[in-house]
Amino acid sequence: MNDRSAMIIEDNEDLGIIFAEALQAAGFETRLVPDGERALAQLKESVPRIIIVDLHLPHVSGEAILEWIRSDERFDESRVIIATADPRMADMLKEKADLVLLKPISFGQLRDLAARLTPAGSED
Amino acid sequence: MDLGALRRILEVSSGDPDDARRRQLLNILILGLAVLTLLTILITGAVTASRMRHPDPAVLMAFLLSLAALAAIVLVFVINYLWSGRIASALFVVMLTVIITMADEPSEVVNGRSVFLFTIPILMASVLVRPWAGFTAAGLSSAVVTIMALRLPGYIPPAPTMLGFFAFALISWLSARSLEDALNELRGMNRELDQRVENRTQALREANEELARANERLRELDRLKSRFVSMVSHELRTPLGAIQGFAEMIRAGIYGPLSDKQDNALHRIERNTHRLLNIVNDLLDQARIEAGELSIHPEPFAPEALVEDLETTVGVLAQQKGLDVTITIEDDLPCPLYGDRDRLHQVLVNLTNNAIKFTDAGGIHVRVGRADGDRSSHWAMEVSDTGPGISEKDQEMIFTPFRRVDDSVTREHMGVGLGLSIVKQLVELMDGEVTLESKLGEGSTFAVILPLGDPQRRDS
Repeated sequence: MNDRSAMIIEDNEDLGIIFAEALQAAGFETRLVPDGERALAQLKESVPRIIIVDLHLPHVSGEAILEWIRSDERFDESRVIIATADPRMADMLKEKADLVLLKPISFGQLRDLAARLTPAGSED
Repeated sequence: MDLGALRRILEVSSGDPDDARRRQLLNILILGLAVLTLLTILITGAVTASRMRHPDPAVLMAFLLSLAALAAIVLVFVINYLWSGRIASALFVVMLTVIITMADEPSEVVNGRSVFLFTIPILMASVLVRPWAGFTAAGLSSAVVTIMALRLPGYIPPAPTMLGFFAFALISWLSARSLEDALNELRGMNRELDQRVENRTQALREANEELARANERLRELDRLKSRFVSMVSHELRTPLGAIQGFAEMIRAGIYGPLSDKQDNALHRIERNTHRLLNIVNDLLDQARIEAGELSIHPEPFAPEALVEDLETTVGVLAQQKGLDVTITIEDDLPCPLYGDRDRLHQVLVNLTNNAIKFTDAGGIHVRVGRADGDRSSHWAMEVSDTGPGISEKDQEMIFTPFRRVDDSVTREHMGVGLGLSIVKQLVELMDGEVTLESKLGEGSTFAVILPLGDPQRRDS
C-alpha cells in the first residue's frame, strides 16, 4: 500500500476539487473518481491509504462501497472517511467508517484531519 | 324506597303526551284509592272476624263493598294500562260516584255531609276524561241525588245542590281547559326549540366538517412547505459549501499569494457566504423540527466542551463591535453532563450571537452552572447582555418563528428571525426550557434550563 495515496469518490466536481486540494495540502497524492462503479473497479487494482466516500453516487452508492471495503482485508490499514449532508446517515454509519464528516466540509478541517492520518514513518 | 320503579309502574306509554299524562295521573289516583280501600278492607275484615258469630251487617256490607271496589280498581288499572285512558277514567269517575253514594247514610248523601264529596268525581272527570266531562259527572251526581231523594220519605231533590254541581263543573271545565291550553302551548314551544337545536346542530356539524377539511388542507400545505424548505436548503447548501471551500483555499494561498484588494474582496465573499449558510442552516433546522425529523442524541460530555470554541465562533463579530465576551463555568457543576453536545453548542452560539447582534456597548456574559433557586436537579446556560433590552410585549413573540422584534431595528441585523425559535424548539426537544429576563434599557438574560443526569437512566 502506498502510504501517501488517497482516493476521493465524489460526484460533485467542486467538492471533489476541494477535498483533493485539502489532501494534497496534507501531503497526499490524490485521485478523484466521480462514479461508484468506476471507484469499485479502481479499488480492485490499488489500495489507497485514505478513501473519502460521498454517499450519493451514480451507479453504486457510497454505502455499498463502504460495505465492500470493509469486507476486504486488503483495506485493513486504509482509513475510510464518509462525507454526507444527512445527519441521520452520518449517525448510522458512525461505527462502520473511520470517520464521518457532515457536509459542508471545510478545506481546512479536512486538511488537518488528513495530516493527522499520515503515518509517522511516511514523513521522509 | 325506589321512586324510579314506582314511576315505571305508574307510567303508561302513549303516542299522545296529553293522553300519557292523563293516564299517569289516573294511575296515581288509583294507587291512592287502592291504599284507602285496602285499609278499609283490613279494618272491616278485622272487625267482622272478631265478631264471627254476630257480625254487624253494616260492617260486613262495607267489607264486601270494599272488596268490590278493589276489584273495580284493578279492572280500571288494567283497562288504563292496556286499552284506553278515557274509558278507564270514565269508569273511575263512575266508580267514585258509586263509592260516595254507598259510603254514607242516604240522608247525608242527599242533603248532608257527603253531598260535597260529589265535587271530587266532577273535578276528576274534567281533569282525566275531557274538560267538558265535568258536566256529565255533574249530571250523573244530580241524577243519583235526585233518585235517592225521591226514595227517601220527606225529601225532595235538592235543586241548589245540583246547581252547585254544575257551577263546580263549569269552574273545573275552565281550569282544565286553560291547563290543557297552557300545556299544548308549552309543548309547541318545546317542539320549536327542539327544531332549532336540531338546525343549529346540523349547521355546527357542517361547519365542523368544513373546518376539518380546511385543517387537512393546511396540514398538507405544511408538509409541502417543510419538504420544499428542506429540499431547497439542501440544494443551496451544496453550492454554498463549494463557494466556502474555494474561498478558504484561496485564503490558504493554494492558488498563490493575494493582493490587499483581493484579500478584501475575498473577505467579503467569505462573510456573505457565511451569512447565507447560516440562514440556510436555520431554515433547514426549522423544517426538520417542524417535520419532526430532528432527533436529539444525548451523550456524556464535559461542561468545558460547550464553550470550547465559542470565543472563536462568535469572537470576530464581538471584536468588531468592541464587546467583551466573558465565560464562566461554575465548579459545582457535575461532570460529565448529559445531552446532545452539538445541539447544545448550537443553542449557546445562537444565543451568544443574538446577544452580540443587539448589543452596541458593554459586553456579553456566558455562564454555565447549576440552575437558580430550587431547581437542584437542573443545570443552566445563561447569556446576559448589556443591550437595549426587550419590552414585555415583545418578549411574548420573540420565540415565534420568522417573527422579530421591531423590523426596522432588526433589518440591519440580518437573519430571518429563526435563531431564537430554533433555540426554544431544540431546548424543548431536550426536555428543557428557555427563560428570558429583560427590561428596556437594562439588557437581557436568556437562560436555558436543562435536567441533570443521564436521560436514558432517567427514563428507566
